Amino acid sequence: MTSALIQFAERGNVLSLADALKNAGFTIMVVFAVLCLIFIIISIAGKIFSATGISDKPAAAKTEAAAAAPAAAAADEEEFSSGSLKLKGCDEKTAAMIMAIVSDNTGIPLSELVFKSITLVEDK
Amino acid sequence: MIEVISDLWSQSGIANMTWQQGVMILLSFVLFYLAIKKQFEPLLLLPIAFGMMLTNLPWPGGGIFHPEWFQGGINWAALGGHGVDPVTGAEIEPGLFDFLYIGIKLDIFPCLIFMAVGAMTDFGPLISRPSSFFMGAGAQFGISFAFVMATILGFDAQGAASIAIIGGADGPTAIYLTSKLAPELLGAIAIAAYSYMALIPMIQPPIMKLLTTKKMRQVKMEQTRPVSKVEKICFPVIVSVVCILILPTVAPLLGCLMLGNLFRESGVTERLSDTAQNALCNIVTIFLGTSVGATAVGTNFLKPETLKIIVLGLIAFAFATVGGLLIGIAMYYLSKGKINPLIGAAGVSAVPMAARVASKVGQKENPSNFLLMHAMGPNVAGVIGSAVAAGVLLSLFG
Repeated sequence: MTSALIQFAERGNVLSLADALKNAGFTIMVVFAVLCLIFIIISIAGKIFSATGISDKPAAAKTEAAAAAPAAAAADEEEFSSGSLKLKGCDEKTAAMIMAIVSDNTGIPLSELVFKSITLVEDK
Repeated sequence: MIEVISDLWSQSGIANMTWQQGVMILLSFVLFYLAIKKQFEPLLLLPIAFGMMLTNLPWPGGGIFHPEWFQGGINWAALGGHGVDPVTGAEIEPGLFDFLYIGIKLDIFPCLIFMAVGAMTDFGPLISRPSSFFMGAGAQFGISFAFVMATILGFDAQGAASIAIIGGADGPTAIYLTSKLAPELLGAIAIAAYSYMALIPMIQPPIMKLLTTKKMRQVKMEQTRPVSKVEKICFPVIVSVVCILILPTVAPLLGCLMLGNLFRESGVTERLSDTAQNALCNIVTIFLGTSVGATAVGTNFLKPETLKIIVLGLIAFAFATVGGLLIGIAMYYLSKGKINPLIGAAGVSAVPMAARVASKVGQKENPSNFLLMHAMGPNVAGVIGSAVAAGVLLSLFG
């Protein structure tokens, strides 16, 4: 099939509609085939890693981030309740997540960070 | 006195300016406005606009860029200072952009940008839900559709393929393929690709709403499994080996993307990862942007073909979104309503803009719905998908 398509490769040649459709179909088919193959390999690899227990040890950053979220939620209850943190258009869960992300990105422990307010900003 | 003024005038750039140069300079001002005021992909649009302005200013004794030296191969003799004007026979000195453009012509800049993209990308969401690959593949439908449309509009196979790749929503891939297949279209294609990438928040939401129901858009997705470090390290190696074995033409792009990602995930090359993400990326962005802008020479750019490219680029983007969404809808039904089809639209690549748009549209329907990390899977799959599509087109028409 490929050799039949390649014969039109010279510059300046405008393909017929049938040939264009053939080439377009071939392109999307190969994209699907290659990504499908990677999907199969990655799925199998994932299953092997799960079976061997390797997946039970997630990447360090993920663990830290995951640990930071409940910490933020706890901090939300302990330190930022009763009006010291103003939430505008933002629920407590989202606020906790934002605080965890800020703490994680800046490397400053949550106990040392003070948030005055978190406001939802609407795009104009 | 009048003679002196007359001589000065005749030697000035204003007297030597053609109308095409004037229009291109004005167009560069529009791009400045879009980059600075509207912040449309400013990191690339600004250098592109400046390169465009510089190359279209009348330069005494030649110019800052000579596209004719790069048609087919590279005219190394001219770059070495032996260029001759075919009309007057006078020697032409090479300009700055003649040298910078070598980086595009030899695929150096797009590949280095891909290395930076790889170093910045977390493939975790894709590894934890590999089915996202299908949405990334579906979003490449825009490339195929635009290819057929470009052919109908009279572009040759190479031109049609270069225009179609705009649908991949991936600037470096578009530049890589166009510089190889149809370098004369590079300026228009790069500008169209980056402009539409900036316009994704306007292009995609109406299509998303048109193709999905409110119930679909409200689907809250379950958290995916955590991904181990070993998996993240293996991923770039597996993808490189599989893709390059099947499509060797994709090796420079995908190889660099995965090398950058390996820098990031290996955990032992933090300095290299940091350089690829920041210093290298910024330097190459400046060179890439200005030299792409310099290719937008008035006489080449101001043609009806450019308008066609702008329209076809929009069609490619729109149908890429449709393709991703249709696969997303199919997965919604196959998963019995567990997958939000909006994330399929993120398969158009354009990391992370498309994922943000999917997340935002989902959140409008259900404020407690956070789709961003779920949408990142198809989003990064789209990067691989568009690189594979470029490899196929290069194999067919290169």
